[in-house]
Parts: sequence; structure tokens; C-alpha cells
Amino acid sequence: MRKGIVQLVAIGIVIGVALTLVAVLFKWLPESASEEFDRIQVIYWFVTIISIVIFSLVTAVVIFSVWKWRVPEDDDADGPPIHGHTGLEILWTAIPAVLVTAIGIFSAIVMARNGEAGVKPMEIQAIGQQFAWKFVYSDFDDLQSGELVIPIGQETRFTMSSVDVIHSFWVPNFGQKMDAVPGIETEILVTPDRMGDFAVVCTELCGLGHATMRARARVVSQEDFDAWIEENQT
Amino acid sequence: MTSTHPHPEQQVYPEHYEPPRSPLGQALFGPGLVRGLWMGALFFVLGTLLVLGLRWWWSWEPLWLTEVILAVAAMTMAPIGFLAGIGSFDYWLHYIVGRPTRPEDHSGHGARTWRDYFRVNTDHKVIGVQYLVTTFFFFTLAGLMAMFFRAELAQPGLQFVDSQTFNGLVSVHATLMIFLFIIPAFAGLANFAVPLMLGAPDMAFPRLNALSFWLLPIAGIMFVASFLAPGGAFGAGWTGYAPLAEGQPLGQTFFNMGVQWAGASSIMTALNFLVTIITMRAPGMTFWRMPLLVWANFTTSLLVVIATPFIAGSQFFVMFDRILHTDFFTPEGGGYALGYQHIFWFYSHPAVYIMMLPGFGIVSEVIAAMSRKPIFGYRLMALSLMGILVLGFSVWAHHMFVAGMADWLRVPMMITTLLIAVPTGIKIFSWVATLWRGRIHLNTPMLFALGFVTMFVIGGLSGIYLGAVPITIHASDTYFIVAHIHYVLFGGSVFTIFAGVYYWFPKMTGRMYNERLGKIHFWMTFVGFNATFFPMHYVGLRGMPRRVSDYKEAFGDLNFAITIASFLLGISFIVFVYNIVISWTRGAVADANPWRALTLEWQVSSPPPIFNFDEIPQVVAGPYEYGVPGARHAVMSPAKESQEVAEEVHA
Repeated sequence: MRKGIVQLVAIGIVIGVALTLVAVLFKWLPESASEEFDRIQVIYWFVTIISIVIFSLVTAVVIFSVWKWRVPEDDDADGPPIHGHTGLEILWTAIPAVLVTAIGIFSAIVMARNGEAGVKPMEIQAIGQQFAWKFVYSDFDDLQSGELVIPIGQETRFTMSSVDVIHSFWVPNFGQKMDAVPGIETEILVTPDRMGDFAVVCTELCGLGHATMRARARVVSQEDFDAWIEENQT
Repeated sequence: MTSTHPHPEQQVYPEHYEPPRSPLGQALFGPGLVRGLWMGALFFVLGTLLVLGLRWWWSWEPLWLTEVILAVAAMTMAPIGFLAGIGSFDYWLHYIVGRPTRPEDHSGHGARTWRDYFRVNTDHKVIGVQYLVTTFFFFTLAGLMAMFFRAELAQPGLQFVDSQTFNGLVSVHATLMIFLFIIPAFAGLANFAVPLMLGAPDMAFPRLNALSFWLLPIAGIMFVASFLAPGGAFGAGWTGYAPLAEGQPLGQTFFNMGVQWAGASSIMTALNFLVTIITMRAPGMTFWRMPLLVWANFTTSLLVVIATPFIAGSQFFVMFDRILHTDFFTPEGGGYALGYQHIFWFYSHPAVYIMMLPGFGIVSEVIAAMSRKPIFGYRLMALSLMGILVLGFSVWAHHMFVAGMADWLRVPMMITTLLIAVPTGIKIFSWVATLWRGRIHLNTPMLFALGFVTMFVIGGLSGIYLGAVPITIHASDTYFIVAHIHYVLFGGSVFTIFAGVYYWFPKMTGRMYNERLGKIHFWMTFVGFNATFFPMHYVGLRGMPRRVSDYKEAFGDLNFAITIASFLLGISFIVFVYNIVISWTRGAVADANPWRALTLEWQVSSPPPIFNFDEIPQVVAGPYEYGVPGARHAVMSPAKESQEVAEEVHA
């Protein structure tokens, strides 16, 4: 049986290594451009490690069992009458409970941190309507724009609303998302930490033009932002 | 607890009370599809006249309003007329008007020819087959729709369909898969197996059982017919979020009403299962001796009975907003848009378990029988089902983490969501432990069961990602969600349905399926499924939202590969259908118990006698005593009738 255990562990390790390579070699997440997304990615990796371990464990036992104990179809013997094992059952109730609790606590901390506004965030209203976004800069005389421009490092509070149906504001590189719901206001915080051009994507099915409801998001330097405000504030 | 049914031939029945009719009169006025059609048409006309009459009386303009006519005459009255026509209500109506009735009238029970499958039939085994054939018909339709919109998604930009058609295809695909395939296919398998497993002659309410089946095609036809509505099929997704759904063209009403019929069907079946399981267990069949499939359907039925009224409510409110101009979900009139989502998910999250727990039951049966070992930790397996049942009601808002609901709801909902991994984990580990040191027969049902265990782990783990709120904030409403639900509902539910169909096929038809074709079917499905849905995790996380007909160029190559894989998945289904058709018509005659399983359905002939057991069995031990020397699940004298039938078939 000892040889069997070694084989089982070997199968598990092979699966685990293969999955780790898949997880590491492909870029599963878009490059982060916000402090919030940096924190989210930490949890993502935490959950990924746990997932790889559990998946490798289960599939290794399944593959090993089928490999070792498969019998021809005409075999008519029965296996050993094992009805259970209290210790094992307690173990596989307790360990997942601990793991998910850890994930829960970790998530709650990140969530609290990502939802905590600093001293004075920049206020932008994001207004969804079929099928375009409108951004209103409350701090700059309600300047209106179809393009989202934010200075790097500036914590920004988006207040969402909608004039018709439900839309959802998502910039994949910010990792932050919130629905724009008619009749109520919702909000989300983004602190961009990388300059570049990104896409605002509507992720809540909102009708015929849902797939085309996109806007451009630019994270620029403070000087460029000031210049942009100047230029558009007429 | 249970009454012994007299042998049908020994029982002397009083005269049948149907008035004598000529053959033509019988065809037109006797219960059946012909009377169903003309009564459906008649009730449609009556409904139309009712609407027009009332509108004329109150002098409302315009007199003809298609949406109202549709909702009242076509989607409420006509189905009632149809159901009355095929004879669903005959017995009850006779009873109500005081005509003599015969409680033990078995004229509509059992199948002697293929025609008996096309009428109101009170035999749970016939109803089970009716359910399965109907649901696989709609599975085919919904699958074809999926391949159609996958073709559209093979390249960015619009090639074959416009946005409205695309949204319609996506919405109807999901709706049919959920309401016309997964939920009722499980109901069909359970209908066939549960009374047999309990040692009961039938379900507790056979006529109600027949009615709940016939509600189903009505719902299915409504969903499909929405494509004919002006403006196209309902296109607000299967979730039909308000207020989008309220501004949709006429097709949306088909969804609002179709869900009512499918939901009514679910509720009736679930009540029937509950009463059957509570009251019709054979002597000695205590709760702790019930097979896990029975446990699974017991918990599922509780979920259905408690949760389903909520989706009915959500759809009625949307329809009222649309037709009666109420303002339940329209903020301009004081409505609350998120209210819809809370009501909808209060059903639709438990619905995920409604679509999963029966599969857990099937897999427990298959793995125990094919590993020749008792199920590991039987009691904890049953208790974990109850755990999922209770927790399942406390997690609905995890579908709304980015919906803008109250912030303080997020953490409690996250904790309950993550905790569901515990009972689910218990089940996975117990199945795996059942395999350990077993004598494993790797046949088609077992392949699907093991495919389920591994694929469902992936679905469960992506569920952990989504349970963690910060990750969900990034991943929700993207293709990651599409991947997750297909790992849960295809890798989970559909694999178990296939396992169940192969497992009980010999019992249902008396013939064996073709093992070789079954294995080809499994491997094609397994590869096609993973190649289709696994890359969706990637495109989703990278930034592709769900429910879009057009997308960024960068996702083009992967989407093309996904489309090709989805066609492979589609082709694998042809192998299945071919196998089922040839095996059903010309397959080798099956033994009564080809798997040497211990549960009661395998102790009677294949197919079972009309009333299942000649003598009610006496249950003496648990259902999975494999390998225990001399152990028996039940004591029953060899069934006389079943022997005769078996000899007849073999002759």
C-alpha cells in the first residue's frame, strides 16, 4: 500500500504542477491599473492556490482509484463494506470550513479597504443611458464628457445612475464594477495607478446596443488632466 | 402505511362510466389530443370574447390590444382548454358535478402501446418517460440555438443575426435549458425511480402527476413560440431584469406566462414527491434506509415548494407593469428596480440547487453500485443535502454583489455563500472515498458520474472565486460567469442526467443501451465540453462581458476555437440520440438487474409490472450494503407477474 500512496501523491503533484503552469504562464487577469485591483489580485491568487490543491487532490484520487481498482465487466465480487470513517468525515468538514472562513475574512478586509474613501476623493457622476455613458465632473462645474479622463493616483468616487434601464460600469483594468440603476444612486471607488488608455464596458444586458455601449477611459498625468479640464471647461 | 394494490386482473371493476360513443364521436369528444386541440381553440375564442366584451363594456380604447389578448386568451385560457380537452380534469370534474366516479379506475394507467405515451397517463413510469422524451426534445432545440449564436460569436461583428435575434436566442436557450430540460429531466428520472425505490405502487397522486407533466409542453411551446411574436423573442436574458424587460416587445409576455406554467408543473410534482416520500414508504423503509436519490428528491421538493412561488410573483409583477401599467419596478412611478432582483433570485438561487441536488442523488446511486461498495458516510451525505437546503435560502443576494443593493448585505451573503462549499465538499469527498478500494466498473453511467465529480469540482471552485466579493466585483457579468454556470449546470447537472438515463435505461425500456456508443458519447461530450467552456473563464477575466453579440477583436481567435468546440459538443449529442433510438428499438434484452444493485427498483422486472410490486416488500436494511455478507435491502417474494413478463420478453 505504501507504494500505492507514493503513486497517488505523484499523480497529485503532476496535476498540481500542470495546473500551476496553466495559472502562471497565461495572463488570466488584465494588467492592473488601480490600487483596488492590486488588492483584488492578491485574493485571486490566494483562492487560486487553494483551488489547485483541492482539484489536484480530488482528481488524483479519482484517477488513482480507477487505475488501481478497475475490474472487468464480468467481475461479480463486491468491494470491502466500508461504511464511513468519522475522523475523516470530521476532517473534510472542518478543513474546508476553515479555508472558506479564511477566504471570507480576507475578502471582507479587502472589501472594506476598497470601499474606504480617503480625505477628499474626486467626484464623478457616471450616467448610463441606452447606449452611451456620460461622465459629469461635479468638482469642475459639472463638466460633461463622453470620455472618462482621470489623473493618475487620484482617488475617484463614481456615483452611478441611469436614466432608463440597468447598466453596469466596468473598466476591466480597474477591476471595479457597479451597476447603474434607475431610481437609486450607487457608488464605487477607483484609484488609478497606471497611465494608459482603457475601455469602459457596460456589463449588464441593457437592450439592442448593449454590445456597443463602450466608452474610452484615459488615465493621464495631473498636468495633462488639468490641461484637459481647461480645454473642455468653456 | 401503504395499501396493497390488488392485482389488476383479479379486481372486478364496476362498469366504466363513459357514455357509449361512435368511433368518430369518441375521437372528437373522448379525452385525447384531438379534443385538446379543439377545446384549446374554443377557450382561446372565449378568452378573446371575454377581453373584448369587458373592454367594450368599460369603453376602453383601443378595443383590441394584442398583449392583453395574448396574456388572457392565448396563454391562460387556451392552455386550460387544452388540458381539459386531453382529459386532465375529467375525473375531478366528474366528481364535482356528482357523476359516479371510480377511485380505482385504472383505464388511464400504464402503457400497452406507444399511443399510451401520447395521452394523459397516470402511471409514474409512463410519466417519467414522457418527461424525459419531452425534455430531451427541448434540450435539442436549445442546443441548436446555442450553436446558432456560437456561430454568430465565431467572429467579432455581426454576421448572421441582428442584436434582437441574438438576445432572443441567448434568452430562449437559457430558459429552455433551465425550465424545460434540467429541472423537468430530473423530475422525469425521479418520477420513474422514486416510487419504485420506495416500494410503492405509484406516486401518491397519480392524476396530479399526469397533470404536472402536461403543463410542461405548454410552457415549452410558449417559450419557443415567442420567436413568432412581432418584435422577436424575449431578449432580456433568462433573468428578465426589470426595467429592461418592461420595455421589451411582445415576446416578453411569453416568458412571463411560460414561467408560470413551468413553475406550476414543478410545484405540483414537488408536492407529489413530498407526500409520496412521507406516506408511501414500504414497511421498514425508515428515512435512514432511503436511497440517497430519494433523499435528494425530498430536499429538492422542499426547495421547489418554498421557492418557486417567488419567481411566479416576479414575473406576474413584471407583466402587471407591462400590461396594467402598475409601477412595481419602475422608479418613475415609485417602484424599486432592485426589488425585482431580490424576488427573482430568492427563487433562482435555490433553483440552482433544484438543478443540482437530484443529480447528487443519481451520482450516489451510480457510484455505489458501480464501485460495489456502500456509499461512504451515508448519514452525512443525507444531512449535507439538508444543509444545502437550509443554506441555499440564505445566499440569493450573491447574484447582486454589484447590483447596488445595501452594502451591509454583502458580507453576510458572502459568508453563507462560501459556507455552502462545506456540505458540497463533504459530498465530493464522500463519493471519492466510496471509490477507494472498490471494484470499479467503468461503464457509461459510471464514466458520466466520475466526469460529473471532477467537472463539478471546477464549477464549485469557480464558485468560491465568485463567492469572494472582491473577485466577483471584477468577474460578474463576464464570460467567467458563463463558464461557471456551464461547469455547474452542464458538467454538473447534464452529466448526471446522462448518467441517470444510461443507468435506468434498461429498467425503463427492458433493453440494454450500446456500451461502445455510450463511451464514445461520453468522451466526445467530455472533451467538447471542456474545450467549449474552459476558455470562457479566460476571456471573461480578460474583459469580455456576457450576453454580447459583438466583442473586441482581441478575443476573436479564442471565440473561434470555442465555437468549433461547441460544434463538437453538439455532434456528441447525435451519438447519444442514435444510441438511444437503436437500443430502444432493437437493443439486447436487459436483465432485471444488470448492475446487481440493491435498491428496490432493480428487484422487479425490466420494465417493471404496471403496479410495480406484486407484493409490497419488507425493507430490512440500508440500500447500499454492498460487500456485507448476506445483507439484503428488502425481503420480497419473487414477483409472479414480473417473472411472467420477463419470460415473455425473453421468449
